[in-house]
Amino acid sequence: MKQIQHSGLQWVSNNSTLLLFAVAIALFGILSPAFLSFQNAFNILVQAAALGILATGMTFVLLTAGIDLSVGSIMFLAGVISGKMVVDGAPLWWAGLVVVVIGLEFGCLNALLIYRLKVIPFIVTLATFYVGRGLGLFISDTRAINLPESFLTLGSGKVLGIPLPVILLFFVITLAHLVLTRTTFGKHIYAVGHDPEKARKAGISVNRILLGVYVICGFCAALGGLVAIAQLGAVSPTFGLQSEFMAIAAAILGGVSLFGGRGNVFPGTLIGVLLIQTIQNGLVMVNADPYLYPLITAAVIFLVVGIDSLQNQRREKAKRLGLK
Amino acid sequence: MVKIANSESTFVVLLCLGYYLVMTIIAPGFFTVNNSINLLFNLLPLLIISIGQTYVLLTAGIDLSVTAIVAVASVVGGFMMSSDTVWFHNEFTTLFLGILGMLVVGVLIGAINGWAVAKFAMPAFMVTLTTMMLFSGFAIWLTQSQNLYNLPESFVEMHYTYFLGIPVPLYIALFVVLLAYFLLNRTIFGEWIYAVGANKKTARISGVSVSKTLIGVYVFSGFCAAVGAILYTARLETGSPVMGQNILLDVIGAVVIGGTSLFGGKGTIQGTFFGALFMTLLDNSLNLLNLSFFIIMMVKGMVILGAAILNTVVERSLKTG
Repeated sequence: MKQIQHSGLQWVSNNSTLLLFAVAIALFGILSPAFLSFQNAFNILVQAAALGILATGMTFVLLTAGIDLSVGSIMFLAGVISGKMVVDGAPLWWAGLVVVVIGLEFGCLNALLIYRLKVIPFIVTLATFYVGRGLGLFISDTRAINLPESFLTLGSGKVLGIPLPVILLFFVITLAHLVLTRTTFGKHIYAVGHDPEKARKAGISVNRILLGVYVICGFCAALGGLVAIAQLGAVSPTFGLQSEFMAIAAAILGGVSLFGGRGNVFPGTLIGVLLIQTIQNGLVMVNADPYLYPLITAAVIFLVVGIDSLQNQRREKAKRLGLK
Repeated sequence: MVKIANSESTFVVLLCLGYYLVMTIIAPGFFTVNNSINLLFNLLPLLIISIGQTYVLLTAGIDLSVTAIVAVASVVGGFMMSSDTVWFHNEFTTLFLGILGMLVVGVLIGAINGWAVAKFAMPAFMVTLTTMMLFSGFAIWLTQSQNLYNLPESFVEMHYTYFLGIPVPLYIALFVVLLAYFLLNRTIFGEWIYAVGANKKTARISGVSVSKTLIGVYVFSGFCAAVGAILYTARLETGSPVMGQNILLDVIGAVVIGGTSLFGGKGTIQGTFFGALFMTLLDNSLNLLNLSFFIIMMVKGMVILGAAILNTVVERSLKTG
């Protein structure tokens, strides 16, 4: 009997995010019937696209026990530069290409500083966070940029009835999932995250893995930024602020560990992203006080991280006892 | 161990001195009485908050919530002291309870951080990130984005009130610095902090109460942030829900430049003092040079990176040589 109770509890704590998800849907559904409509579920998916792409990139970095605080700045810089280019008459594909290259470059810069100069990721990306945002503010002259109609087609355009942002999101997640589960590069990412020393001894080039994950993260940040501004229609001077925190939170909610080596993009990070977006959408649907959004989102994240940490503690205890 | 700390303190002292001399020559209006007073008043709150952060970093933690603590303390102090929301009728009671209320806010939020880090073994980064989001949202919700004005005369005059020829904020800062120095260097609590930062497992085995130490450092950081909030609120004569929004980089930058390791166990109050001085000098001089705030932002980012690189290079050469 005790055994059953114990495994029941364990099931609850292992699936805390899914349970919270169910509770959130039920609660919002009772408060606002329109929340449960198919149209609204689809809206959540469309709204989740930018954060989803961002969090996918962040997952790669977190899996190596790193962190990237610069993604919000990369998003902002990408938005400002592409916005300026398109306003000045450059074709959309050209602006998009330039932006993606900027994302890749920022990722490269982060990675080089981390493994060449041996500075910890937190400080490196904190510095590039400020440099990127300063640069973006400099280029935009701290003014909002309103985007032309042509840019908005990226946000509202459809292929076979499916909005482009959703297609992009699924493309990115599928690709990331395949890379992580089916390639040696993916397996090496987990190995480096588990124990970089052991990985090195096993002949893995840790530097190359780090370069890879930060470049992927920079790329995803630029792409996510493009999708977000195409949906918003403008780039404000505060665009992308705290996006890095939302991306990290989404990944953690989906079961990715901050200490590396544990977690996945699908279903993990995707569930985290959908949970955050569902809560924000639900709060709008039930006409909650907008001032309460950050409070409720933060409380949910705190809860999930707390449960996850308790589990971790138990896992380590079990490991210790097992060794003895 | 002592030698390393000394050599690093020397580095940051020379950095400050050199920078000060250069700016005296090239920045117009830098070496004047007015600007020196300005520098001092900018330095004090940053120094106080950075000292609290030093305690947390010494245990290999991090406190991102200091900005939110400053905001909530400022708002609570504003509510309790503003003559628009008459809570108390006697000026002395208003002042006393208002300041006490602000300190209690800091200690309470610090205790929540410490409790989550110590008892649930939650990563400090995530704990303080969520409390930052939660409490900065709370400060804005509480005031509905409004500022609180009409604080008591004796409170906002703090920076212009002299006692024995020295302005009151300097006494406050001196008290916090001496308290922090004493706790860290002369008490068992200080020894525990270094032990926990060096190695948690070893510390636990050798009888250190790890969770008490962890809760203690976050409470102290919260307390320091609240004291910083008192100085900011008095100087701006406003209780503001977005106060301190942009100081996180300055705080962590000051501590890291002061030679404190992000991995715990290494760092001093003296180092943090000069780190905070350097960040203040940087800010003040770049402003005097008439650079726009986004250039200042970029320069600061690069300076922090430079200091971190220098720090690792020094450490590596000490290890190999």
